[in-house]
Amino acid sequence: MDDLLQHFIVEAHELIQQATDDLLALERAPRAAGPMDSALRAVHTLKGSVGLFDFAPMGIALHAAEDLLGALKEKRVGIDAHAIDSLLACIGQAERWVATIEQTGQLPPDAAEEGYRLARVLRSQLEEDPAQAADAIPQIELGWIEELRARSGNAASKTQDAPLVAIRYTPRADCFFAGDDPIALLRSVPGLVAVRLSNRDPWPPAAEIDPFSCNLRIEALSSAEPDRVKAIFRFVPDQVSIHEIPSAAGLQAPGAVPDAGRSAGARTLRVDSARIDQLADLVGEMVVAKNALAHLSRQFEDGLDRKHLAQGLHASHAAIERLVAELHGAVMDVRMMPMRDVFRRFPRSVREIAGQLGKAIDFSMEGENVEADKAVVEGLFEPLLHILRNAVGHGAEPELVRREAGKPEKTRIVLRAYRDGERVSVEVEDDGGGIDPAAIRQAACERGVASADDLERMGDDEAVDLIFAPGFSTASEVTDLSGRGVGMDAVRSASERLGGQASVRSRLGLGTTIRLSLPLTIVMTKVMAVRLGQDLYGIPLEGILETALVPAARILPVRDAEAFVWRDRTLPLVRLADLLAIPRPPEAPQNLKVVVMAAGDDLVGITVDRFAEKMDVVMRPMTGILARMQGVVGTTLLGDGSVLMILDIPELIG
Amino acid sequence: MSVRLDGNVIILEGACRVEDAEPLLGWLQADRDRMVDLSNAEHLHAAVLQVLMALRPAVSGPAKDPFFRDWISPALGEAPVGDPGSRAR
Repeated sequence: MDDLLQHFIVEAHELIQQATDDLLALERAPRAAGPMDSALRAVHTLKGSVGLFDFAPMGIALHAAEDLLGALKEKRVGIDAHAIDSLLACIGQAERWVATIEQTGQLPPDAAEEGYRLARVLRSQLEEDPAQAADAIPQIELGWIEELRARSGNAASKTQDAPLVAIRYTPRADCFFAGDDPIALLRSVPGLVAVRLSNRDPWPPAAEIDPFSCNLRIEALSSAEPDRVKAIFRFVPDQVSIHEIPSAAGLQAPGAVPDAGRSAGARTLRVDSARIDQLADLVGEMVVAKNALAHLSRQFEDGLDRKHLAQGLHASHAAIERLVAELHGAVMDVRMMPMRDVFRRFPRSVREIAGQLGKAIDFSMEGENVEADKAVVEGLFEPLLHILRNAVGHGAEPELVRREAGKPEKTRIVLRAYRDGERVSVEVEDDGGGIDPAAIRQAACERGVASADDLERMGDDEAVDLIFAPGFSTASEVTDLSGRGVGMDAVRSASERLGGQASVRSRLGLGTTIRLSLPLTIVMTKVMAVRLGQDLYGIPLEGILETALVPAARILPVRDAEAFVWRDRTLPLVRLADLLAIPRPPEAPQNLKVVVMAAGDDLVGITVDRFAEKMDVVMRPMTGILARMQGVVGTTLLGDGSVLMILDIPELIG
Repeated sequence: MSVRLDGNVIILEGACRVEDAEPLLGWLQADRDRMVDLSNAEHLHAAVLQVLMALRPAVSGPAKDPFFRDWISPALGEAPVGDPGSRAR
């Protein structure tokens, strides 16, 4: 995929998002000038960019959207839900088209029909004759191209069989103030075969000429490849129209076959330039630290004594250690992105879902600026969308029910992100009907998710938690929204893949909150190293509550297992050596070293031979054949080059 | 300055920039019979070019720069003809 198209795709995504945000803002506050101008600008720019490519249907639809927005702005047409709906439909279609372009490099075959349909719908609100309006748009008269070709005479006849690119560039009147020199731009067009310079409007009388208001029209033919020509005019997309003319034979070549090998393309990462500056500064400091080391080695050659050398090395090591830590932090910062990037896609989704289900929803978002690792933020879209669907589909009650319960008619749904120590929490809270534990119990029993005995023993909270169980879905009617075969179990597994947990809190009649607790980064892990004989193992620190010394005499045998009392609670005791099937040390120690940690919802004590240090490690997940290895979450390289295995204790206990 | 007045001839030299348009326009407005010498001009900024296109003074050349000679000079040399076709709208 060429650069220009890639830029277009990135830009188009942003513009589409911007337009969507603005339209939704307009729906809430129809008189707000800011969103109106912003939406108009976004649609206008997008239309201009589309014009650079052979995406005419998209241009037609966007042109109509721009005209409608213009009319709304001038108050020729009133802003109502219908207008916003049709504009959002157009923007939504544009988004799908961009996605298709991203994959195949071109619009889908049905785009022409859809583009005209959207344009008709939009224009019908302008109360214009749709046919006439549609005609006015892109059926560019191509007469000037023929004239130019005729003028070019010999030059063009040489290239008679080659395809040409026709350029019509009408610079904006104020383009000189933007630093544009249209003639310089023309000069950089390769393969010119014909040029015609003319005036856009008639020249004013000599005395009234404004030399700084551009009144030129530049038309040209070039034999260069279209992409090269387009690249030259990429900064003035709204002022230029570029047409590819097939060879003089006039035969339209069959549509270019899209390159099937094109992948969706590597995702790019947009980075605040301040963060890059910070990285550059740190690299600079690193160079200084390196030089200090060189200085030290020279001093050593000159006979520096061991004591001073050791001191120098220590100081150098400390400096480099600090820098490495800061560099790592800075690189992690680069990967941090705000929730906004994912959150901003939801208002429209919620609006659409609510529209389809006929629910009245008051949706709001908080904490869009909370940052987390790129992988975490991007991984949240699917699970959050599913939770929001459920909130609209199952949480929100009919208006009548809400009125009787004394609640506002619109169901309030809040999507919220906040920092929670080393983690970030993302919640979807609704003030809807809540989850009925009795209904859950019944459904769980019917669907064989849990046995009747188990269900009886469960508290209400535990029963409600069953919504996350595989194969569970409380939908009493299957809608095309929620009934897609992915339930809340997919939400839980998605958040666990990101290193997080999903939980639910619900009060019948008052509402439900689904909360995902996620790590800020999935790259750095704090682990505690423990020794077993000579071997070192890591245990993720997040699961550890504390370490304790337990006298051997206080271990209570419980049938063939062991237990001990910790803070007035009896916890099962598991020997790490047994878990790893390593022989226990021959003589039993007086005091057992125990790591108290969470395994699922329960606490457990794990005995180890010795505690070692805590460390921050860059954990590499197990890949390939090792991926199936039970009980190991990942590995990391230690300073001495050895590999530290990081254990998944809950999985080992099974 | 890439534009200067020498007697009754306005001389454009080298790469003419946007700020050259104003003196050029002033000299031509003052005396429409002044000639413009383009033989040493390498590039005309669009602002300069449109002054020449609007006022159509007599120009001498030809310019040495090939792009200039092939594509810009024709727009200055020819008498203004009513464009058929597209301009009509």
